[in-house]
Amino acid sequence: MAERLAFTAKISLGLAMSGIIYAMFLVVPQYVGLGEAGRIIIVHVPTAWVTSAAFALSAVFSIVYLRTRSALHDASAVAAAEIGTLFCIFATVTGSIFAEVVWGTFWNWDPRETSILVLLLVYAAYFALRSSVDDIARKRRLAAVYNIFACVTMPFLLFVAPRVADSTLHPNCAFLQGSKCEGISLDLNGAKIGQLGDVVVELKSVETTGELTQARVEVRMPGLTQNAELTPSLDASGKPADRPEFPGQSFRMVLIEANPQAGTVRVNMQAPGTGLLSNQRTLWVFLASNLTFGFLALWLYRIRATILHVSALVETQEAH
Amino acid sequence: MSNKLLWRATKAVFVREMRSELRSRQALNAVALFAVCSIVAVSLGLGPLNRSAELPLIHAALLWIVLLFAAFTALSRVFVVEEEQRTAAALRLAAPPHAVYLGKLLFNLVLLSALTVLIALLAIVLLRMQVKAPSIFAVMLAAGALGLVSGTTLIAAIIARSSSRSALFAVLSFPLLIPMLVTAVRGTALALAGMGWDRCLAPVQTLLAYAVALFITSLFLFATVWED
Repeated sequence: MAERLAFTAKISLGLAMSGIIYAMFLVVPQYVGLGEAGRIIIVHVPTAWVTSAAFALSAVFSIVYLRTRSALHDASAVAAAEIGTLFCIFATVTGSIFAEVVWGTFWNWDPRETSILVLLLVYAAYFALRSSVDDIARKRRLAAVYNIFACVTMPFLLFVAPRVADSTLHPNCAFLQGSKCEGISLDLNGAKIGQLGDVVVELKSVETTGELTQARVEVRMPGLTQNAELTPSLDASGKPADRPEFPGQSFRMVLIEANPQAGTVRVNMQAPGTGLLSNQRTLWVFLASNLTFGFLALWLYRIRATILHVSALVETQEAH
Repeated sequence: MSNKLLWRATKAVFVREMRSELRSRQALNAVALFAVCSIVAVSLGLGPLNRSAELPLIHAALLWIVLLFAAFTALSRVFVVEEEQRTAAALRLAAPPHAVYLGKLLFNLVLLSALTVLIALLAIVLLRMQVKAPSIFAVMLAAGALGLVSGTTLIAAIIARSSSRSALFAVLSFPLLIPMLVTAVRGTALALAGMGWDRCLAPVQTLLAYAVALFITSLFLFATVWED
């Protein structure tokens, strides 16, 4: 009975994975500004999630190991760390490809790129430590200690991350320095100058022509000799239509709301890719992909943990 | 064990470390020369740099890279020596684990402080590093040294018990030190550029929080590493 259940689970996992790959290329629509490259998030984000989950699991097993001193818990910690490393490499490579296509650089020292690199280094060190201690009990103990110790430093990456790069290209308003998620309001008859990050923006005009409501915004930023003028616009349904790029950067200016009669607008800066999940089809494929990759990791973990459990038991017996 | 006894044992371990170091001056000589060599190499390689907006950041980064590698050569010795001279077993019998950890941590702190002062002075002289906010600069270095020591002393105990010691120390420590290192470099650059406490407080706070978190975790974990 259990065997048949496992078989069914395996087959459905395979089918789900094929479904995700099919949907990634054929169901998810192209995203304005990202083109075909946007599809990679269907793989990239779930692998990144699985990575963090696997490493957290590994640290938990290390704590349990130090309490119980059971070889099986140590083997579970190793299996989780191995799966985490595998998915960490997936996430890094897919992210890097996406970054090259869309942002024009494989590596940007973006906060999340830095943290995932540190994760990779930590677990490389974890495996290096394991391979250089001969005594089995001592190896397990020292590796568990290192795993927990490394886990304590992780939160500091979150504090440090925003300091590393002046800007992040990841689509997440919380990480955009100086940019508030709600953007900035400008008024032709009042405060028509404002600041987005280190960019000074000045509203020149806002008017409706045909279906489009267009604002003319003058942009002054460090490193730019001439002032640039951007014209973001809204379509008839109040959704952003044209999102011009800030000169020399990959960020875009987006018009969130505009009232031509009152002469007021609200603008914000966006990294390319923001709002990707507001499309229903993309959202559902994305959620399904998270689930499938989660189960895939769980399945891989089960296989690896079983093998390691057996070899841990053999090792322990030989040591006796 | 009562606090008083622990403190006495800690002091004994620390005094023992200091005494054996002052007798042989092994660590001090090796590390001081290492520091001089690396600062000279950096200064020769770069030549005089032009004043620019990015100069404080460059100086801060070079200073911390030299400090980091000096720390890699210096800070693992306290535990490696015990294994090499086969005195670890005796120390295990003579002092409780917490006292061993605290004593060695204090010794590492003294060693690294001396090293930091030396490297900073050399950088000011040879690299022509200009320090516009000296007191903040000193606080930043002290907080960074605290973070460096609390992050590496437990690792030193771990690698002393493995087979490839010196290489492993850098490999294991580096990823854990990245958050601290980046904060220290940014903070030191602010201090070099003469920024006030309003800008410099946050990095100092982050460094101190990092040091405290790793120190407490080390206290929890050290007995496990030290047990035989």
